[in-house]
Amino acid sequence: MQAILAAEHVTKIYAVHAKETTAVRDVSLDIREGEFVCLLGTSGCGKSTMLNLFAGFTQPTNGRVLLRGQPITKIEPRCGMVFQSYALFPWKTVRQNVEFGPKMQGLPAARQRELADRYIAMVKLSGFENHYPAELSGGMQQRVTLARSLAADPEVLLMDEPFAALDAMTRQVMQEELLAIQEASGKTVVFITHNIDEAILLSDRIVVMAANPGRVTAVIENPLNRPRDLVAQATPAYAALKSRIWDLVVGDVRGALAGRAGRA
Amino acid sequence: MNAVRAMTRSVAIPLFALGRPGGWSTRGSILLLNVLGVAGFLLLWQVATAGGFLSPLFLPSPGQVLNEATQVAATGELWRSIVDSSRRVFFGFALAALFAVPLGVLMGLWAPARAIVGPFVSLLRPLPSITWIPLTMLWLGIGEAQKIAIVFMGTWVYILVYTVESTKRVDPLLIKAARNLGASDLSVMREVILPGALPGILAGLKVSLAISWSCVLSAEMVAAQSGLGALIWNAKDWSNLALVLVGMVCISLTVLVADLAAGVIERLLQPWERHRHG
Repeated sequence: MQAILAAEHVTKIYAVHAKETTAVRDVSLDIREGEFVCLLGTSGCGKSTMLNLFAGFTQPTNGRVLLRGQPITKIEPRCGMVFQSYALFPWKTVRQNVEFGPKMQGLPAARQRELADRYIAMVKLSGFENHYPAELSGGMQQRVTLARSLAADPEVLLMDEPFAALDAMTRQVMQEELLAIQEASGKTVVFITHNIDEAILLSDRIVVMAANPGRVTAVIENPLNRPRDLVAQATPAYAALKSRIWDLVVGDVRGALAGRAGRA
Repeated sequence: MNAVRAMTRSVAIPLFALGRPGGWSTRGSILLLNVLGVAGFLLLWQVATAGGFLSPLFLPSPGQVLNEATQVAATGELWRSIVDSSRRVFFGFALAALFAVPLGVLMGLWAPARAIVGPFVSLLRPLPSITWIPLTMLWLGIGEAQKIAIVFMGTWVYILVYTVESTKRVDPLLIKAARNLGASDLSVMREVILPGALPGILAGLKVSLAISWSCVLSAEMVAAQSGLGALIWNAKDWSNLALVLVGMVCISLTVLVADLAAGVIERLLQPWERHRHG
């Protein structure tokens, strides 16, 4: 089966203050349709760069990024980004934010409203349609962002550590809701995290990345059955998977710490 | 030493009620202090002038000022002056806004426009609007157009600078998000850049509105038949200090009212800021 999203030998070099930094080097990756993939790695491993490349926010220095076999050369609405910092329009109400994608697609007003109502209900924010983002908590704003992306009906959802700023309990609930939404909609999801538990809980496959330069070190099929609730997290299979992933990333984390200490 | 410290503490805390709920920081007591302060000042003024400590040639008494105010109000002269000045401010300010806001948005978005207009902004900004009086009188005479021109010249640069800055400061992440959701250039402009820059533009307009009042008053003091500036300048020539003071109070109140109205419009245009206003 052809990959819906693919990176082919992608290298991205940023020049900041005349100093070149290799964000990712020679990354190749296939994302299958309907799959939930987590990019897992420590800070600086290039996972956000990969997401920005998939969204078309930036272009690879070398290699190609493909959506259904076509190179992504500009900001790509078919790859909807769920931003870590929400990026909601402060001057729009919850409903207007969620209606934004349908409105840009030129759908009739009644249809915009219908879609907004459906996705606002899906993220359990009915009753808050006329609130402005600043009037909501962080967890609620994150849900609005998710609803806004879903209402625009992208083929791929790109999620940049969306739950990193939430407290542990809210995060757990949001993860379960996201899984339910993904299973219901069948959307392909590329999800960034530096949390191993989160990666195991959510993903079909885990792409482990390492820093300096950013690269893929392993791709792990997640063998655990769904639902992966708190009970599943207490099984030996879960513990074995977690320790296998930890072994893959621990060297990189130690290396990064040593590197930072050496520079300081 | 300890006794002194104990005394300061026992006195200072009830007086200033630092950080305590209630005390002198509640709305009611602030209003009370406002009124007491103004009343005390008026009383002091009345005593100083009526008691003969200050000659009425230097400062008329509050009673005389009030008397003068009722007279000019009765003849309609006061009202006419307020309307004339307000009309000049309105047209000059509206022209400046119509010119500077679109230009500012363009400059905020497009660096070449910024580079072309930038030197003119740098050179014109330090010029007080009164320095335009000779040229505008030569070009436009001493009629309405000249007053409006002075207001225009005194405010457009400020409106422009505020607009450029607030347009440049629109969060690029929001523009990215809009494009990611399928927005065209035109939609990004209408849905993101304009509303994003609006708070800064309105703040600039509010500041400039206050400035436009000082422009019109100085223009009216130099050469005008009517308006609040002309009113107090002519009153000075007739040594009618009470009328000068009436004019000054009216200017204060008119600018205050204009500023309050601007605040209301600002809030109506930005309902999403409502949580900040409580």
